[in-house]
Parts: sequence; structure tokens; C-alpha cells
Amino acid sequence: MEKVLSINNLSKNYGNIQAVKNVSFEIRKGEVYGILGPNGSGKTTTLAVVLGILQANGGDFQWFEQPFGKHVRRRIGSLVETPNFYPYLTLWENLRIIAEIKDAPDKDINYALGVANLLKRKHTNFGHLSLGMKQRMSMAAVLIGNPEVLVLDEPTNGLDPEGFAEVRHIIQTQAKEGKTIILASHILDEVEKVCSHVAILKSGELIANGKVGELLSAEEIVYVQTEKLNELKNLLSTSEMVAKTYFDGEDLAVVLDSKFKSADLSKLCFEKGYPLSKIIVKKQSLEDQFLQLVK
Amino acid sequence: MKKLFNLEKIKSLSYPVFKTLMIIHFLLFFLVILIVSRMHFSVPGFSIKGLYQFPNIWKFFPWVASWFNLFLAIVVIVLVGNEFSFRTFRQNVIDGLSRNDLIKGKLILILSIAVYTFLMVLLAVLIFGLINTRDLSFSLVFENSYLLLVYFVQAIGYMTLGLLISVLFRNNGLSIIMFILYFFPIEPIIRLMFKTEARRFFPIKIISNLTPTPEFLTMTSEQTYTTSTGTSSLDFSEIGLLPEKLPVGTTVLVAIGYIGFFIAISTFLINKRNL
Repeated sequence: MEKVLSINNLSKNYGNIQAVKNVSFEIRKGEVYGILGPNGSGKTTTLAVVLGILQANGGDFQWFEQPFGKHVRRRIGSLVETPNFYPYLTLWENLRIIAEIKDAPDKDINYALGVANLLKRKHTNFGHLSLGMKQRMSMAAVLIGNPEVLVLDEPTNGLDPEGFAEVRHIIQTQAKEGKTIILASHILDEVEKVCSHVAILKSGELIANGKVGELLSAEEIVYVQTEKLNELKNLLSTSEMVAKTYFDGEDLAVVLDSKFKSADLSKLCFEKGYPLSKIIVKKQSLEDQFLQLVK
Repeated sequence: MKKLFNLEKIKSLSYPVFKTLMIIHFLLFFLVILIVSRMHFSVPGFSIKGLYQFPNIWKFFPWVASWFNLFLAIVVIVLVGNEFSFRTFRQNVIDGLSRNDLIKGKLILILSIAVYTFLMVLLAVLIFGLINTRDLSFSLVFENSYLLLVYFVQAIGYMTLGLLISVLFRNNGLSIIMFILYFFPIEPIIRLMFKTEARRFFPIKIISNLTPTPEFLTMTSEQTYTTSTGTSSLDFSEIGLLPEKLPVGTTVLVAIGYIGFFIAISTFLINKRNL
């Protein structure tokens, strides 16, 4: 698949502070690529460098296997951090500016406003919008010129659950249309629900990257109770069904192998003479796994 | 270029502060020339009407218009400062403009405002001059008309200085204060540290001297005299009543040099600093 973005040993300093340290990864066409990391991990700085807003101190990057330039910029729709628009201009006028820069026709403006569900507000000044609408306006702006790649930095920042869902719906629709999407976020749930691939940054360094399912898979933990809990623990420790067992309070916590379900465990316990008086199934939170990675 | 012009048109014409400042600029200019036209001298032999006749009007109107060039510079400061406050310069670059395009766009804006004020003063000169001048001839009407071009250079000079200060400070309030403080007292104090000859070459001195205070005594005199050099009106410079100035050509050339300098520094800053 065609390489959309290749980053090689990219570094960026702010005075003595190294915000990005030798970061390298590749994004291919059609991927929904998450850049995940806590605040201050270098996500926005990385995006600002590859979008030409900041100058890198080291390393290089290529878009579409070409050096970054005017012709490349027009193939990318970007939202970096906060929505940057003229508050005294209407939504239509603000998008007209972007369309003018990208040589896009006026019909793109109506399409983008339609996708963002803002068509009825086209003559409202940007400064009069609610936070959620401003964020949706940002999504409309990135669609102008029908770009092949959407770069979205914290697109759901400050949104309520409804706004969050709306923005996520827009991203998923665009991904289905074949666009490559680069999504920087510190919200694990957002990345997990939307992205196919992820790069995890911590203090400016890349600590992991790959498919979301491989990096952040949710393990199932079954909490059980029976009369002879120690005996059951010994039994399960030797079973191929079980990856790990440990005591959690008065319960026995059983981490199952991904091929097995809690029903299989219940059946096994019953067959071996340890009928379960309690069985509770929980998934280890992705957040816990993410925190383990960035620790 | 057309694209950059269209962008600046959308950004400025829909901005209420821009429209308000331009309307104030227009009203103040016409208010002053209308009020002065109604004034009467009580000194026998002198008449205010002389200021509204060709060719004197080419000196008087650009001089009055130059008082309000400060407004034009503030308009530029506000429009450029907004780009930093709203982080729209940053967004424009993300969307596909180059950093040089940002400066080119603002230069197109400055040029457009300068053309507008040039046409405004030209229109006023033609209307008032044609009404108030008797015995019109082509040479009389267009004598000294080059001074309007000098005014045009001056307007660009003030606005490019506004651009530089705005790019430097990136904040409307601070930029406006620094711009005014540079007029007074910063540059005048710095000038005092130099010899008289050198003082005439400082930026504000040069740019403001493009439209010097007209020789009112000469322009309002109803009598003509034949002087030793054969001029047909009173030449107060020659008889030592007015200070010696740099030739207009030299002043214009130095002013254009300063304009180039302001643009070069602004371009350098936009290219080197983070947006």
C-alpha cells in the first residue's frame, strides 16, 4: 500500500526541552492511524512539524513519498489543536477562505457544512457558535478540497458525549470513503473505537506502534468463588484454558486465554467438582493497559 | 496574486473594526477640508481660498490626508495582529499558503488601502480644485500633482511600519502602543543623540516629511511678487522664513528604502518564528 507519511528520526526542541525525540513511523493509505499519548507527550508537536507549522531540529519526513510543499499541503485537510477561524466571519466566509487557498469550488463548502450538520448555520458568525459546533466546523474545514488525508489533533476536545459521538461518526464515515486519517488524542477510548493503527508516545519518544488490536487488546478476567478456592487455583494453574490466576480480595481472579470464554471456565469447574457460587466477568480496562505501557 | 487579493478582501471587508476605521478616516478627511474651507482670514491680502485652488491644492489636501495615515497604520496593525490572536496565519499555512504568501497578502492589503486613499484624495482635489480655480489650464491643474504620488508612498510607509510592528509584537494592544510610542517619544529621543544632518534620515522623520507642512503664507497670499529668482509668488524658503528641507526626490528614495527594509524584516520574522 502507498506510503502516505514517513517520519524518520524526527526531533524538535523548545529551548532546552526536547519535545520530540527521534520519532519514526509510517502511515499507509487507508489507515486510520492514532497518535496516542498523555498530555505533553509530543503528539501536537509531531503533527505541527509534519504540517510545516514548526521547523524540525532533526530528522525528516515525507508525504506521499515526496518532500513537503504546496502541492502536498492541498492533499491534506488538517485540524491542529483548537479551531482557528475568524470569529467575525460567518461559517461560509471562513470556509470560503480555505476553499480559495485550496482552489476548491464553492460546492465543497456546502458539502462540508452538510457533513458537519451546520448547513443551517452557514450565515452565523463563527464567534457565536457553541464549543461543539466549533469543533464540528473544524471537521467541515478539513473536508474542503476533498483531501486524501485528514489530520485531526484532539478533534473531540471539550465535547460532551453527544458531540463526541457526532465527531466520531464523521471520522468513521470519512474512513469508510477510503480517506487516510491521522488522529492524535490522549483519549484511549477515542483511539480504540476509531483507529486501525496506533503509535504511542511518551515524553516525546515513540514507545510502541502497530495495529490497535495487537497493542491494546482487552483481556477478560473472571472473578469466581467456591468452597475450596485454593484447590481450584491449583487446578486452574495447570489448565491450558487459563493464562493467569491470582487472588483479588476474597475472590479468585482468572485471566482466560483469548480462545476461551467464562462459560468454558464454569463448565470446567463444575466437571472437576468445584461448582462456582459466584462468577463475575470483567474486562481489564484498556486504560490500565495503556497506563502500563506509558509507565 | 488574485487569490491573495480575494483572501484579504474576505478577511477585511467583513470586519466591522476595519469598516469603522475606514469610515472614520474618510469622514475626518472630508470634515477637515470642509471646515477649513468655511474659515476666513482677517489678515488683509490673504485668503483661505488659495489652499483650494490649483496647484496649491495638491500640497494642501495630501498634507491633511497625511494626518490620518495613523488610522491606516492602525488598521494594518489590527488586521495583522488578529491573524496572530486568532491563530489564522497558522491555519492559512496548514491549509496551503506559504509563509511568504502571508506577507504578500498583507502587502496586497496595504497597496489596496493606499490606492483607495490615493483615489479618495484625488477625487477631493479634482472636485474642490475645479470648483475654486478660475482660468483653468492643463498645466495649472496638473502642476504639483506628483505630490499625490508622494502621499501614496507615505501611506505605504506608515502601513508597512505598522506591519513590521505587528509582526514583531503579535498583539494588537501592545503593537498600537509601541507604534504610537515610536512616533513619540522613542524616535525623537533617539534623533536627539545624532547630529542635525543625520536626524533628517530617521524613518518617521523621512516618512512624515514626504508631505511637509505647506507654506501657508505663500499659498494663501492673494498677491504675487517677482523675486530675485524670477518666481511669481512669495518664496519664503528663499528669504529664510522656512527651514531648509531635503529635496523631495531624495526623501522619496530614502522612504522607499525604509519601506523595503520594513518588508524585508517582516518577511524574515514570519519565516523564522513559529506561527
